Amino acid sequence: MRFQDAAKDGRAVVYAGIQADPLVARAATLLTRATAAERWLARAAMNGERTEADVWRRIFPSLFGEGVATELRERAELILEASLEVANRGEAARSSYRGAVVEELTARLLTARDDPAAPDAPVRRERRVLFDGVPAEIHPYDVTVESESRPEVYDCKWGARGINADVLNQLDDARAYAAEEDLDLDVAIVVFDARRSCQIRLDRSTASRAGTRLVALEDLDGLAEPRA
Amino acid sequence: MPRRPPRRYAYGMHEQSAAVGRAVEAYQTLADLAEAIEDEWQYVNDLADAYLPSIQALAEANPGRSLTAKQVAAVDETIAEIGLITDPHKAIDWLSTFPHLVALALGGDMEDDAVGTGGSGADR
Repeated sequence: MRFQDAAKDGRAVVYAGIQADPLVARAATLLTRATAAERWLARAAMNGERTEADVWRRIFPSLFGEGVATELRERAELILEASLEVANRGEAARSSYRGAVVEELTARLLTARDDPAAPDAPVRRERRVLFDGVPAEIHPYDVTVESESRPEVYDCKWGARGINADVLNQLDDARAYAAEEDLDLDVAIVVFDARRSCQIRLDRSTASRAGTRLVALEDLDGLAEPRA
Repeated sequence: MPRRPPRRYAYGMHEQSAAVGRAVEAYQTLADLAEAIEDEWQYVNDLADAYLPSIQALAEANPGRSLTAKQVAAVDETIAEIGLITDPHKAIDWLSTFPHLVALALGGDMEDDAVGTGGSGADR
């Protein structure tokens, strides 16, 4: 098994421009150390109908209310500001920006992980996984942790609706091919959405997913923790 | 004469139930809109089946604790937000988001209620 950069087609080149937008890095940095409530704020504001900050301050009194500590309030303000900048890119661009933020957030959390089992494993983006005698997958993985002993691949989604059979089958196939090479490939889907909604989506899927880990919005901090 | 600080009104269980009732009604309307996406009909109904009882259960959250006016306003502002949605695809996204915002506004937790599907998050 080996990792390889994905070839860039026209669409990937355009998307790479979005991934490189400083707004994506800023939003991801803020969300790396955010609470669940702050991540809900980001999810809602990035996907809202209204882009007036005061609306969102009223919706989240636990983040912007009078009794909230100044430091927490200021952090929530920064998250709101970045989220509304994403929303203001327009309906067409929003979805690309949101996806890029989830990917960047995932990569940053994994990079922050202090894993004694894989101390120097590089965290990379947009990579394919190649197996001997197996045709290359169509879609590259959003994030990979390229440890020689215990590699990981992550597919990232903005919402639970992004969970589909193609994604689950690709992840499960990769895990199975790696197992044929006596490698333990950790496969996971990261979804910036409610765990419950993801679970509902998964429960209806007939795709193989027994070896695929779900990391929902409430579980994101676990990406930065050493693996068991 | 010194100005008196603004009075902070507390809301009782009746107001909490009324706010939750409005949230339930708004959520049902959102689900009706989302049903327009035929391929997602089952998912939409699964979401509604899972979340509606949880939203209703928020009426009983924090017994004995009064809501503040800002908490009730937060619920109503969230209801106003989803009331503006006309795109059924976006409605599906918000079927997942709205209950958690209402729970946060009321100081509850969507994952703590008895009807939650639970799940450890490690779906292995």
